[in-house]
Amino acid sequence: MIEMNGEFIAFLILSIMAIGGAVFMLNFVRVVHMVLSLAFTMLSIAGIYVLLNAEFLAAIQVLIYTGAVSILMLFGIMLTRHRDQEAEGVRPWHKFFSFVGVAAFLGILLHTLYRTPFTEETADVGRFSVDWLGETVFKQYVIPFEAVSVLLLVALVGAVILARKESKS
Amino acid sequence: MNGWTLFGPVTLLSVVLLFVTYAILFERKVMGWMQGRHGPNRLGPWGLLQTVADILKLLIKEDTIPRNADRAMFKAAPVIAFVPSFVVLAAIPYTKGLLFSDLAVGLLYYIAISSITTIGILSGGWASNNKYALLGSMRSVAQMISYEIPLVMSVIGVVMAAGTLNLTGIVESQKEVWFILPQIIGFVVFFIASLAELNRTPFDLPEAESELVAGYHVEYSGFRFAFFMLAEYVYVYAMAALTTILFLGGWNPLFGIDFIPPIFWFALKFLLMVFLLIWIRATLPRIRMDQLMQLGWKVLLPLSLINIFLSAVLKEVFSGWY
Repeated sequence: MIEMNGEFIAFLILSIMAIGGAVFMLNFVRVVHMVLSLAFTMLSIAGIYVLLNAEFLAAIQVLIYTGAVSILMLFGIMLTRHRDQEAEGVRPWHKFFSFVGVAAFLGILLHTLYRTPFTEETADVGRFSVDWLGETVFKQYVIPFEAVSVLLLVALVGAVILARKESKS
Repeated sequence: MNGWTLFGPVTLLSVVLLFVTYAILFERKVMGWMQGRHGPNRLGPWGLLQTVADILKLLIKEDTIPRNADRAMFKAAPVIAFVPSFVVLAAIPYTKGLLFSDLAVGLLYYIAISSITTIGILSGGWASNNKYALLGSMRSVAQMISYEIPLVMSVIGVVMAAGTLNLTGIVESQKEVWFILPQIIGFVVFFIASLAELNRTPFDLPEAESELVAGYHVEYSGFRFAFFMLAEYVYVYAMAALTTILFLGGWNPLFGIDFIPPIFWFALKFLLMVFLLIWIRATLPRIRMDQLMQLGWKVLLPLSLINIFLSAVLKEVFSGWY
């Protein structure tokens, strides 16, 4: 049975915050509000990472997702069509079908979760440290790391080239 | 949960508020002397109550919200801007024993949390529904994002030399020599980038009075305006403390003069950094927008990359001495 300790309460609050942010994001009408609630969700997820002893990941989550990605989205929206509001949905059956779809998905997910036996031993996350992470990434997995960084660089250069081509025409 | 958990942050908040009150007075006094004026000198002895009166005035002012503003966001923006500025202080160690949280990734925590303030500034400028406010916030965010990169890059040299991201560990590894000496390029880049992050002269384009009225907080008045100002000055406090920890050896004494307690050493270096910020504000003119971007991307970023390379070479070649 689940124990009611501080960690559980913190997890409950953080997950409610994360889900709440996501629900608000779907229900808001203005695009800027949506991005702000998305940033709120990202921040709550960083809190869950802290609970799992992954402080490094939490800091990176805040830095990249809450900070950089949200600001990039806000910039994009404000510089383009920032007075836009989403039109209300008109199809009456749409909501019913999406509800059925989501319920079926939840059912399948729960079914699989309860059927899967988790026999593996849980890794000890308490003694995780940043230098251990650095050594794994830069020594053991250095070639995949470099390959991913080259891939990202290619994407970056490609984006710049595409944007320049459009502005010329 | 003991008493310290509740009492500590309250004490810190009062210390920070006291610092902000007197930092503003100190700033006005120092700038006055540098420009051949007296500075505030009417209220209280030596003008000591001037800022208190200013804050009181802000608190009892009418709180105006523009009719076409986005009300909810207009109200939330000062909070989003201020809260991270106070939250980052949790990671700052003052002495070996006097600290709130000894995070393993303290440095990264500071940088990550402080980036949330940018959202507050951006949403404040947008929610005002005013073109000057929007322009000011856009400028502010562009500047903060551009200078965050050299800021983080310049710190990597320190992290490599110390071998840790923990702020206490970084101070401990400066027992022999402060990082300002071997990491002098890193220090210069960090200091310039931190000036830009703090939106202070010569990088105060977001609130350039002569072109943008007052930038992102032009529509704000009273208490909400006070919160934006407060966030700015709390960041002065945090950044001065962080510079002291990263480059000036934190609470380590100079020349082994250890009969002065560590907390005083920290305070001394911290105040020196605050004075340096004020000195620069009173001396330098504001730089142009295109110069700002060029300085950030074409000068500071390559310099910080060179610094990382040099630190790596030095660490490998002179591993015993360095």
